Amino acid sequence: MPAKTITVNLKVWRQPAKDQPGRMVDYVAKDISTDMSFLEMLDVVNEDLIRKGEDAIAFDSDCREGICGACGCVINGIPHGPDAGATTCQLHMRRFTDGQTITVEPWRAKSFPVLKDLTVDRSAFDRIIASGGYISAGIGGAQDANSILIPRSIAEEAMDSAACIGCGACVAACKNAAAHLFTGAKITHLALLPQGAPERALRVVRMVGQMEAEGFGACSNEGECEAVCPKLIPISNIAKLVREYTRAWWRGTT
Amino acid sequence: MSSITTKLIIGATGVLLFAYLILHVIGNALIFFGPDLFNSYAHMLLSNPLVVPIEIGLVVVFLIHLVKAITMTFQNQAARPAKYAKKVAAGGTSQKSLASSTMILSGLALLIFIPIHVKMFKYGPEYPYGASDVRDLYRLEVENFTSPLVVGLYAMVMVVVGMHLWHGVASSFQSLGISGPRFTPLIRKVGKVSAIGIAGGFIVIAVWVFLFGARS
Amino acid sequence: MTLDGKIPGGPISEKWERRKFENKLVNPANRRKYEIIIVGTGLAGSSAAAALGEQGYRVKLFCILDSPRRAHSISAQGGINAAKNYRNDGDSIYRLFYDTVKGGDYRAREANVYRLAQLSVDIIDQCVATGVPFAREYGGLLDNRSFGGAQLSRTFYARGQTGQQLLLGAYQSMLRQVDAGNVTLFPRREMLDLVVVDGQARGIVTRNLITGDLERHEGQAVLLCTGGYGPVYYLSTNAINSNVTAAWRAHKRGALFANPCFTQIHPTCIPVSGDHQSKLTLMSESLRNDGRVWVPRKKEDTRPPEQIPEEERDYYLERRYPSFGNLVPRDVASRAAKERADEGFGVGETGLSVYLDFKEAIDRLGVETIRARYDNLFEMYKHITAEDPYKVPMRIYPAIHYTMGGLWVDYNLQSTIPGLFVLGEANFSDHGANRLGASALMQGLADGYFIASYTVANYLAGASLSKVSTDHGAFKEAAATAQARIDQVLRVKGTRTVRQFHRDLGHIMWDYVGMARTESGLNAAIQKIRALRDDFWKDVAVSGEQSNLNPMLDYAGRVADYMEFAELLALDALHRNESCGGHFREEYQTPDGEARRDDDHYSYVGAWEFTGVGTQPVLHKEALEFQEVRPSQRSYK
Ligand SMILES: Cc1cc2nc3c(=O)[nH]c(=O)nc-3n(C[C@H](O)[C@H](O)[C@H](O)COP(=O)(O)OP(=O)(O)OC[C@H]3O[C@@H](n4cnc5c(N)ncnc54)[C@H](O)[C@@H]3O)c2cc1C
Ligand code: FES
Repeated sequence: MPAKTITVNLKVWRQPAKDQPGRMVDYVAKDISTDMSFLEMLDVVNEDLIRKGEDAIAFDSDCREGICGACGCVINGIPHGPDAGATTCQLHMRRFTDGQTITVEPWRAKSFPVLKDLTVDRSAFDRIIASGGYISAGIGGAQDANSILIPRSIAEEAMDSAACIGCGACVAACKNAAAHLFTGAKITHLALLPQGAPERALRVVRMVGQMEAEGFGACSNEGECEAVCPKLIPISNIAKLVREYTRAWWRGTT
Repeated sequence: MSSITTKLIIGATGVLLFAYLILHVIGNALIFFGPDLFNSYAHMLLSNPLVVPIEIGLVVVFLIHLVKAITMTFQNQAARPAKYAKKVAAGGTSQKSLASSTMILSGLALLIFIPIHVKMFKYGPEYPYGASDVRDLYRLEVENFTSPLVVGLYAMVMVVVGMHLWHGVASSFQSLGISGPRFTPLIRKVGKVSAIGIAGGFIVIAVWVFLFGARS
Repeated sequence: MTLDGKIPGGPISEKWERRKFENKLVNPANRRKYEIIIVGTGLAGSSAAAALGEQGYRVKLFCILDSPRRAHSISAQGGINAAKNYRNDGDSIYRLFYDTVKGGDYRAREANVYRLAQLSVDIIDQCVATGVPFAREYGGLLDNRSFGGAQLSRTFYARGQTGQQLLLGAYQSMLRQVDAGNVTLFPRREMLDLVVVDGQARGIVTRNLITGDLERHEGQAVLLCTGGYGPVYYLSTNAINSNVTAAWRAHKRGALFANPCFTQIHPTCIPVSGDHQSKLTLMSESLRNDGRVWVPRKKEDTRPPEQIPEEERDYYLERRYPSFGNLVPRDVASRAAKERADEGFGVGETGLSVYLDFKEAIDRLGVETIRARYDNLFEMYKHITAEDPYKVPMRIYPAIHYTMGGLWVDYNLQSTIPGLFVLGEANFSDHGANRLGASALMQGLADGYFIASYTVANYLAGASLSKVSTDHGAFKEAAATAQARIDQVLRVKGTRTVRQFHRDLGHIMWDYVGMARTESGLNAAIQKIRALRDDFWKDVAVSGEQSNLNPMLDYAGRVADYMEFAELLALDALHRNESCGGHFREEYQTPDGEARRDDDHYSYVGAWEFTGVGTQPVLHKEALEFQEVRPSQRSYK
């Protein structure tokens, strides 16, 4: 598809720092090649701002190929924008039309405070994983890898859940800013594998406890999270989370 | 209590209320067979010694469902203090709908409706049916549905019930962790079909009673 | 300065055992007294933190992004090698060792490579134990695929997301130590200087990227796990925040920088489409298992690929290298693509790409098999190019991908500054002049999980470490140096953005110090780099302030360091009058265009000592001795 050049009108959330008021600010992005990625378009806008001596729009990105989970903003009302199964950095300007208005906002959740503009603090996710999202395998003592047989279907299912990139779009999309899909994906990944079995009960109790302590909301089963997940992780992971949680309760794990 | 436990409770009570509604609409549908059958069915229910404990249970289930949902809504709102300037449904596989976005509102609407409903029927005038001690609920039903206004309002409320079920049925099972590659698509269909069935059933019954009830 | 690799004695297969035994140990009860600083949370950093934390040391772990999980390692796609020989196809530790030394064009230290091959086996076990969902066969055993430079299947993989899964495994093990109170996380911190006290590495100065504050951190050892310097070329497959800053500033404090000119160009990347581009996306090498590389036989043939009949296609890799075919090592495949494009056979709008075609594989294996193997890569390609590789061949072209050069380290992974250890891509060690696919992940985890905990303990047990606080003069001086540099950047208030400078630097590097280098080109590059650096300090535009989140300011600091480092890279390339691995000097090639090594004069590690910006650095040589693998002309024919 040959590239075209378009102009788009941006409404971008600008907030100077944490706990300070912010507002939507209008920018015009001119001469945007439709081959550009969304973030490259923001780069162009920033170049202009810098040349004018203005503060550039702060946003996170690293891999720019949809795997690190650093990027992410709510674009025209949808986390990561209109493309299903893609991150903000994978969104390309060919998805927009000349003259279109695009709103760009940060993830919004109590547990993801805005640090500046489109940059938010997602360290709550790290704390959820740290509270049990691991297998306690000491380094050095592992048995031969092939001594644990794992049926291909189970390995694939675990991989489906392990594919989570921790971007936070699920929280951003959820009307309750719930982190169930994120937490459920890790629980599912580890609970499916025989290596993860010994710690199953304690893991889910602790991770859910941490998730709650961080102030995320409850799951209303709308599945917006699944629809915006760049890795298309389904909400069956949340059902699994519930089952694991119930199982742990049944066994009296606290 | 974790939000998962809360949702388990809401889900479990939801499933019970759903089951109750199915029985309710089937029972009501007996009205098509005339006052004899309808009143004797009602009598059978009312004369059962378990009816009081079951009714109390139902009220308790309903209240738990309600209280948990309300408190959870407040917590959910606290989880997102700042709102988006623009937010739209993501589409695709999302189950978001008008129904799912208004669960608390449809639920609260029913909170207002149910006491009125109970007052109108359960605690309405007690007509004897024939000479026996059977209560003539058929007649009560016909009298209650003589006004087009009442029928209209009732039908509107049933649409609200349908909406609540449209999302609520499948959602309850998901909240209980019951899910699977075959089950989930199925329960989503079942939920929607029964939402239409239950709400539609109640409306059809009311309209039928309004139009033809007095003739029997 | 003589460079002592500290290679243990004895037969190659026993060296590591011997070193482990020679090493001093730290009593478990004493370990909590030591504070270890680890910079970087990629495979190397996360695994080292997990290992040292588990041993009971107090670890402070730093990274640039908001979460340690977002290190650049996450984007590795293809897989990780291990000499498991699960396939019974002739693999062994010795063969992996041999392949890696040969693949590196005989510019790596044999002992290191042998240890890497030995540890590869343990890595897979460790990763499976921590729940990495590697691909499996129907019977439940682990699956393998082949990678370039090998004639057998020894690569373990998790779809096209191997790096992600390995990193998450290490990240989770590391967070387990956070949970246990042994590791403390410092995200959104950038290391700006190394603090050296009495000749020992004793701490770092970081910038808190949220508040802008400079912070001082003290420790008894510092581990740099800060990754490679690919973005010195501006466009590369590396993550946007990959940088040379930590390594470069350690270099300025006395750590030697080894073989900076050994950079790797990856043959299968999505081609450049325009000036706006901020990075290039890799299409994993594993695609060459099933994809066939070709160009039209006719020059400047503009027909769409499907209209070009078989007999008018040139499957040039299969033609030139019949025994390895599409699976020749990266440097060979990259140069072959460049050769075709230079001759006018390239395809696409710019002529700077070649086809990677799956039609034959889809016909043979069925589309479902191909989907299972590569779907996420195909999707990624589609997102970027809006073309569907299931239907039309991919277009690919070489791009900068990996840097074999890095801070010089001995067998213990210690740099020339005692107490400063360098792990992962940031060091120079195991890949010589060219890295084979699927071996960087292996090296990162070997360094972090299995080597550092032994050698750092040995250092701590043997070193005499005075008490040092962050009020020490050396800390103050380092913080002041870092501050001065920030002030300098903010003071310029020029007209050209950091990105413009970076892009210009990238053009110089790609044109003159890229896939084919010449003496005159390198001399020109050095002049151009110097001129650009001068311009930078006169005309760079950075808005915003220090005391706030300011990604542009961070970026400016990194580009400033690249401007200095680029010169060293070019100098190293200029001094090495031979072609080997990723370093191709046009003057030194065989009549049929293959790299011509000069083992008589250049069989050494070139480690540079910093003497000042713009002044000639001092070269130190560590001679390479090959006792096991006799260097020969590499042949993949
Ligand atoms: C697209 C792609 C695909 C690849 N595929 C494969 C593959 O299939 N197989 C394979 O073996 N290898 C592959 N590689 C190579 C491999 O991924 C890397 O070499 C390896 O992951 C490097 O790991 P590392 O731990 O050394 O560093 P990195 O993962 O780069 O981590 C560097 C860390 O240091 C931090 N850091 C850097 N500078 C500073 C600073 N100044 N202050 C504080 N923190 C800092 C960063 O935040 C980050 O946490 C691939 C590379 C790329 C680019
Ligand atoms: S920048 Fe890594 S996912 Fe977008």
